[in-house]
Amino acid sequence: MSQTIEAPTASPVRDLAVEVHGLTKSFGSVQALRGFDLTVPVGQVTGFLGPNGAGKSTTIRILLGLLHADGGTATVLGGDPWADAVRLHRSIAYVPGEVALWPNLTGGEAIDILCRLSAPLEPKRKQLMLERFDLDPTRKARAYSKGNRQKVALVAALASRAELLLLDEPTSGLDPIMEAAFTESIREVKAEGRSVLLSSHIFAEVEKLADRVTIIREGVAVESGTIAELRHLTRSQVTVALDGGAEALAELPGVHDLQHLDGHVTFAVDEDQLPGVLAAVAQLGPRSLVANPPSLEELFLRHYGTELAALNGAER
Amino acid sequence: MTATALPDVRPAAPAAWRPATDTLAGTGAMIRFVIRRNRIRLGVWWLVIVGLFAYVEAYYRDIFTTQQALDDFATVSNIPSIKALTGLAAAPNTMGGAVWTKIWMTCSLTLAFGVVFLVTRNGRADEEVGRTELLRSRELGTHAAAVASWAVIAALAVAVGVGVSVVSAVGGLDPAGTGITGSLVLGASMTGVGVVAIGIGALAGQLASTSRGANALGSVALGAFYVLRMVGDLGDGRLTWASPIGWAQEMQPWGANRWWPLALLLALTAVLLAISARLEARRDFGAGLLAERGGPASAPARYATPLGLGLRLQRGPIIGWTLTVVLTAMMFGSVVQAMHDLLDEAAGPVKDLIGGTGIDALLSLLMVLIALVATVFALQSTVSLRADEASGIVEPQLAGALSRARWAGQRLLIPGVGSAVLLLLGGACTGATYGALIDDPGQAGRLALAAVAYWPAVMVLVGVAVALFGWLPRLAIPLTWGVLAAMWFVVLIGDALHLPQWLLDALPFSATPYVPLESLTWMPLVVMTATAAALTWAGLHRFAGRDVKPG
Repeated sequence: MSQTIEAPTASPVRDLAVEVHGLTKSFGSVQALRGFDLTVPVGQVTGFLGPNGAGKSTTIRILLGLLHADGGTATVLGGDPWADAVRLHRSIAYVPGEVALWPNLTGGEAIDILCRLSAPLEPKRKQLMLERFDLDPTRKARAYSKGNRQKVALVAALASRAELLLLDEPTSGLDPIMEAAFTESIREVKAEGRSVLLSSHIFAEVEKLADRVTIIREGVAVESGTIAELRHLTRSQVTVALDGGAEALAELPGVHDLQHLDGHVTFAVDEDQLPGVLAAVAQLGPRSLVANPPSLEELFLRHYGTELAALNGAER
Repeated sequence: MTATALPDVRPAAPAAWRPATDTLAGTGAMIRFVIRRNRIRLGVWWLVIVGLFAYVEAYYRDIFTTQQALDDFATVSNIPSIKALTGLAAAPNTMGGAVWTKIWMTCSLTLAFGVVFLVTRNGRADEEVGRTELLRSRELGTHAAAVASWAVIAALAVAVGVGVSVVSAVGGLDPAGTGITGSLVLGASMTGVGVVAIGIGALAGQLASTSRGANALGSVALGAFYVLRMVGDLGDGRLTWASPIGWAQEMQPWGANRWWPLALLLALTAVLLAISARLEARRDFGAGLLAERGGPASAPARYATPLGLGLRLQRGPIIGWTLTVVLTAMMFGSVVQAMHDLLDEAAGPVKDLIGGTGIDALLSLLMVLIALVATVFALQSTVSLRADEASGIVEPQLAGALSRARWAGQRLLIPGVGSAVLLLLGGACTGATYGALIDDPGQAGRLALAAVAYWPAVMVLVGVAVALFGWLPRLAIPLTWGVLAAMWFVVLIGDALHLPQWLLDALPFSATPYVPLESLTWMPLVVMTATAAALTWAGLHRFAGRDVKPG
């Protein structure tokens, strides 16, 4: 079931920032990871996709040495994330999914503390990031919203020159303008040859930034490859208001699950067939058209629903 | 409310007043809701206060069996420190008066603080986290939630008053031939203090925009009223009348038996609640009159070390506990001679309680009390390791170039060094004030040394807390406090539990030589220090090797 693409063999000059093989981790009777594989090439942004509870945060916390893996191997910047944690963390910046801060310290104080724990503080970079993310550093953390707490962690991570950034759903509390600032920052990081592992449960977000994507489901990597290689997964959901001729659309290549209801036609289209299908729809004179990228959950249900059902049945 | 927007603290435009019936819509439903949410807390506060009163009453009826004993107690109670701390009863040489002197102030203040915390919990705290927002989106008037919580908490204050009156009347505190007027005045005076505290809590909740702020403001107001009456009681009594706590004192059960100060208390409550309601009607949801203050935009480099950050984060507790120890010790030091004179005339059981006779026995007991305070500080500081892990706040720190051993080790310097400093300060301050009274400056050094003998015992408990943090993180905080409570309980009444003597002797506090009554022996101290070191090492070693477990 796993379609992991073989990792290039390690050369003297490191070309993988993170290399994980067969990782397992259980919490009591819950198996969070069941033989998970992941690679993060140096100088690239690797997307890490999965629904909530799939094991993304567990993986990242193992890579930080906060959790001890039950089995498998994990290598981070050439070291062991558990044994060499302190040395490795000089070159790592981390943004947790749920940002906890000291309620009676200000955001600015928290940023300084976090930055100095890894490397000397660079006040200019801090100031730049504060302005970019429009964050007031003089407010107490307890007065910050979820989005602002996340900005504190992001500013602290981006103000450093860490070799590897581990970002756990870093944009889940940000508005679209701040997401744009985030996208800009990650592109700069990549241009400087640094590596990023970016976890998310939204395909579109990862698609914008990532060179490669690994998809995790129930603790196993179910897909891994470049964005182009995973293109077949992205099937858009289209709804058009048509007066007639919908039947002809069902015959077009790449169109699936066509349904007709009260003059509204809905169907799914393979990404690579989208131009042809849209041209055909235009010929029919639609009154309105809405196209949505599929949610990750829909995608999983379509591609892996039966396998997962079998897997769960076998285990429970 | 978008949380990113600053709270709007401008005076609201004179918006159209809402019809009064609308602002109270849903009060009945809210009353049921407040009772449901607080039923256990309400019960516990009632039980603690009435139970405390009943316990002291029963105890005093046991030890004061003659009028002579009551007269003696009245005489020794008539000293500045008793007047300052608890006030002196109007009829100090009656059974009721003795009980009043001992426990009225404690019960009343406990009720007052409990009421302020309850008002905040059901008011500002709910508003701050957004629960009230959900309720207010329904058919619920502006004041319904507040009025409901005031009503329920007022019922608690009345229930406490009734409970205390019943206990007092049944226990026969009223002198023969006076009916139960004294008992009724007593209960009403406590209810009065509780009801005023509702007003204080309500107003604090309107002024502050956070529950922390509201509790702090309410507590400061109660503290200020307590100090006002303290100064009044020590002087000519005029300032006593500047404090609502003083008004309740001046109801004088078994003395003047006045009812009219109760009217003053109720009137003040009405005024405070009216102001709160007016503020609530005019302000924006979520806003307070006092804006949340900002702070520095950058941190000094020392905050990047666990010790520097720990000292900053625990600044409040460190200052608070230091003041507590110094003031308590000076109070002990100034009354120890008077207590000794009282005990000299008391019966045997009291001498058993403090473990001997003479001033040194008393001083030894005071050292144990100071050690207890130092232990509470040390454990509070130690369990913050687990609290930081549970809240997830430790993870971004450990994601920096910081080992777990260094993080935990530096943080443990605070309870380690801090408790030693508190013990030295406590002993020295007791000795300095006592020494000043008997013209013996050597007492400060002697008692500082006696107090610091408890440091290994404190460290054993810290070691237990660290071991629990390492091995049973999810249970560490309640178990740590449970161990301290159990140990203190056994120290107090151990022989009554028929526990084996070797077990009683092995407890850290009992294993410490009872200095200055007994002479200092090194063996137990060395053994305890080694035990503490072993427990701490075991806990830290386990923490370094296990998963970080958020709560």
